[in-house]
Amino acid sequence: MNPNPTEPSPTTPPPSESALWEALRSVIDPEIGLNLVDLGLIYDLHIEGGQVRVTMTVTTPGCPMVQSLTFGVETAVLAVEGVDGVLVDVVHEPPWNPDMILPEARAAAGIR
Amino acid sequence: MNTASSPSSVARADAPRSSGSAGPRLDGPVPDVTLPLRFVLFGIFSLVSGIVMLVARPDLLAAYHYNQHIVAITHVFVLGFLLSIVSGAMYQLVPIVLETPLHSERLARWHFVVHVVSVTGMVAMFWVWNMKQLGHFGSGLALGAALFSWNIIRTLLRVRGWTVVSFGIASVLFWLGSVVIAGLALAAAKSTYELNESSGVNPLLAATLNGLRAAQSFLARFEPLAVMHSHAHLGVLGVFILVTCTIAYRLVPMFVIGEMQNPRRAWTSLWLINAGTAATFLAVLNQSPLKPVAGLISASGLLLYGLELHAIIRNRRRKTLDWGIRMFLTSQSLLGVLVLLGLGLSRPGIPLTPFSGQLETTYGFLAILGVAGLAILGMLYKIVPFLVWFAAYSRQIGRTRTPALHEMYSTRLQILGGGSWLAGLAVTIAGILASHPACIRAGTLLLAASLVTFAFNIARILGHLVHPQLQPIAPRVPASGGPLRTTT
Repeated sequence: MNPNPTEPSPTTPPPSESALWEALRSVIDPEIGLNLVDLGLIYDLHIEGGQVRVTMTVTTPGCPMVQSLTFGVETAVLAVEGVDGVLVDVVHEPPWNPDMILPEARAAAGIR
Repeated sequence: MNTASSPSSVARADAPRSSGSAGPRLDGPVPDVTLPLRFVLFGIFSLVSGIVMLVARPDLLAAYHYNQHIVAITHVFVLGFLLSIVSGAMYQLVPIVLETPLHSERLARWHFVVHVVSVTGMVAMFWVWNMKQLGHFGSGLALGAALFSWNIIRTLLRVRGWTVVSFGIASVLFWLGSVVIAGLALAAAKSTYELNESSGVNPLLAATLNGLRAAQSFLARFEPLAVMHSHAHLGVLGVFILVTCTIAYRLVPMFVIGEMQNPRRAWTSLWLINAGTAATFLAVLNQSPLKPVAGLISASGLLLYGLELHAIIRNRRRKTLDWGIRMFLTSQSLLGVLVLLGLGLSRPGIPLTPFSGQLETTYGFLAILGVAGLAILGMLYKIVPFLVWFAAYSRQIGRTRTPALHEMYSTRLQILGGGSWLAGLAVTIAGILASHPACIRAGTLLLAASLVTFAFNIARILGHLVHPQLQPIAPRVPASGGPLRTTT
């Protein structure tokens, strides 16, 4: 493990972007039943060496699930090979709206 | 992107992370789940106790309601069931809604102890009609309400600016204080005081007794039944119906994926309900001919609330409403029936006959178990799964597949329970209107049957705390389309 999370590990290759997105798809919002990527809650994924910065939102400011979801994002991202550390930023701008849900997922979840 | 007011968290791969369901708490405004859960479970216990009492004594609802046993059972429902669940839900929801931690969880735990002891004692003292001891337990309840109000007010003060929800919560606290004071004054008015002043009296005790005597002589100006009815309106309209409207403005848009349609209408509705509560209290207390005017003020506030709720539902993005929300909305439809009944009963000059007395009993029964009760049962299907999920799965998310909230209980049982509750309400009300004990027993048995289905579902939900249902995350095909942005 890299003792300094602000510097990339010299030995481990950086994490794969597709693996990170796949990992984020394992985090499910238990109220709506969709994963955070399909829900459009993940705004940005920044990879710098072994460090990953996830910028995400929640469906409503004051969402009761926010702690669980950020914890889930951290857990899922840290499980990806090559990740040394993760920073999760929760933002409310732009505010989330149902149009951000992927169309196929929207239909599957009964959201118009 | 604006991150100025947003939480961020940092985690390192080499940092220890709990995998157990009872791991350390997640940081954030949400209080420990055992805090709201204990209020909720005591509330459910009280609801079951009250229904069992009605099944055992259907004759009580078949006669006029001004008797000690009906007053005792009413307080099982309003203090044991409704107030407990409202308190637990507020401890859970206020920090979430206001995005700030609760002022003190320790105070809230003390509130729970004081609340349970006081409510239990009050109900017992109502049953045996011991007004002196009722006053003591009532003072305990007032202490609990003060702890609760202090905690929530301190939490509210952390937030800048007023929203319709924070205004509603502050209003509910005001009416909660008012109804508790009114209740204590009622108990004081029905007590007798003896003091041997020749043997040297503690000044504090003397002052207290003087205050109680003053309350007694003041309330002696009013008709006893009017005092009781005005106290009941403060509690039901000012606390339980107002809290339902306030919470609905926050939770219904969240659950149906929608948004408030007209904030000005929502603000106006709460102002009018507040004004209507004050006016109704004064009009009922004074047996004023202006009771219909007071009723119309409340009704106009509730009408605006109904219009806003309808607009939120009509413009929702989630096509199918789950059964918890449907139960809640059904209860709000019953609110319309309740308002019409209340307006009818507020007409001046209605003689107190056996039938008009039973109409008053119907009005109270519909308010407590029809409107507030069904609303809470519906919302409990949203609140309890969330609390248990949070305790059992919040540290498993992202690691294993966790169940969705609706997978934690049986929807079939939920529908059966909702249907039998409505049938129970209808049959019991028919029995009340006909003063027919057998019919009332049949209706309350239906309510009890509904609670059995509810208990099965609650047990099933709580079972996740003991046996979490975890499954490995299955590999999946990513949906097409994608994230907004990826930078490397």
